[in-house]
Amino acid sequence: MPDAHIITQVLIAAVICGIIGLDRTALGQFMISQPVVAGPLTGWLLGDVTAGLVIGGTLELIWVLDMPIGTFVPADSTVAAVAATAIAALGSSKPGDLSVIGFSLLMTVAMVPVTMFADHLMRQRNAQIPELALSSGGLPTVAGVTTWHLAGLIAFFLKSFFMCLALVPAGLILVGGFRSLPASFSRAMEVFVTLLPLLGAASVARKLSMHTLDRTLLAGFCIGAVSVQLFHLPELAAIMLAAAGGWVGVRSHGA
Amino acid sequence: MARDAVSLRTVDLLGIFWRSFFIQASWSYDRLQSLGFAFALLPALRRLYPDQSELSSRLAVHMEYFNTQPYLASFILGAAARAEEERATGRKPDLDVTELKTTLMAPLGALGDSFFWGSLRPFAGAAAVAVLLTGAWWAPLLFLVLYNIVHVGLRFDLVFVGYATQGDVVRLLSRYSFTRLARRYKAMSLAIVGCIVGTISLWEPVFRPAVAVPSPGLAAGGMALMLALTALLRIGATPVNLMIGLAAVCLVCALGGIV
Repeated sequence: MPDAHIITQVLIAAVICGIIGLDRTALGQFMISQPVVAGPLTGWLLGDVTAGLVIGGTLELIWVLDMPIGTFVPADSTVAAVAATAIAALGSSKPGDLSVIGFSLLMTVAMVPVTMFADHLMRQRNAQIPELALSSGGLPTVAGVTTWHLAGLIAFFLKSFFMCLALVPAGLILVGGFRSLPASFSRAMEVFVTLLPLLGAASVARKLSMHTLDRTLLAGFCIGAVSVQLFHLPELAAIMLAAAGGWVGVRSHGA
Repeated sequence: MARDAVSLRTVDLLGIFWRSFFIQASWSYDRLQSLGFAFALLPALRRLYPDQSELSSRLAVHMEYFNTQPYLASFILGAAARAEEERATGRKPDLDVTELKTTLMAPLGALGDSFFWGSLRPFAGAAAVAVLLTGAWWAPLLFLVLYNIVHVGLRFDLVFVGYATQGDVVRLLSRYSFTRLARRYKAMSLAIVGCIVGTISLWEPVFRPAVAVPSPGLAAGGMALMLALTALLRIGATPVNLMIGLAAVCLVCALGGIV
């Protein structure tokens, strides 16, 4: 029987997911819903910032170029980041447990098709909203437009809220089983997490360049590797140097 | 149609700017942003059409199909507000606002998708992740600042530019070189991503692959793996499939005692 504390924390996670999920499409789009923000924010509120930072940092680049163009609805990286962080924060015995983080990521990512389907259903139902904003005479009124348009926010909130409410308890049960597995499973998940930033880098390179080995990417790699390993430049300086190199490089080609 | 000239005030345009953040609150497959557009334009319509029946008929016009990039919708909102003003004051009573919206929404949609989703967001994301991998807790804040200075600033300005230029895209493009900026953001994103892989041996310990390989070898191995993953993505693998595949490979290696 789960204790009241865990139930409260799961509800908090679901509310966070609902609110942050609004930013994804319906409200503002300030990008608070991007994993690099949503993950750490959830981790901070649930008491495990490290889990949030690791999950947000690994998921960010993987889906950052999934674009909501026209009627295409991309993978719901917000629900994935918030749910994975909540599962890791509530399911591990110590903060920043890399093996539980890896397992949580794997579970929530595997559920991405389900979250996309929920998004699809909700947007289909929203098609009725404009009709509801019409008066009995068939013309819209100010009150009708305002009320029914803003009512759409509730649908978006509930979609993320219920997805998180379903994913987190299920994830916590599975994490309990995972922790009883032999140590090699934990080790596998630790290595898995450390490799994910490379998948993120590949994902960005795939979408931004026509070439598998892009010249700008290679230049950034050389700047990073040489400046920090040979000249012991601080990493932040190397990042700025690489960004400046990209800027200058594209300018020299006339853009 | 001609009546006492009522023009829009700055506060009306500010109202449109504020409501533009809600433009997708009722997004649906059928009408996309149609209701959101009408909702965002309400401050202007209420000012220009005090008569309720006329206001209702103008609202109905703006509830027709509409879809564009949500940030650049601000430009169209400003232009539509100006067109409604011209129409309501009798200066251009036959002005077709629907045609104006239809003409603008597709090109601005393509431009905005390419600029915001395809270049600015990846740039902010790559910069934030690069900083995060060095262990800086403020990386999420960096992401929000890099992204929203441009996003909110443009949304604000574009309402007024759309109103002033009456939806003149040529003047918009002479003010903001979206295509040139997009190319620069994309180049910087790629360079930062390359730098991320190049500095693999200095990542925050929780991210760093814990294998006994000297730093140069680790960087070269990281680059090789990244290129292999890129090649797999190019031939149709999805990130979700690759994540599951990576986890499976890690499990096999762990069970075999390799890692």
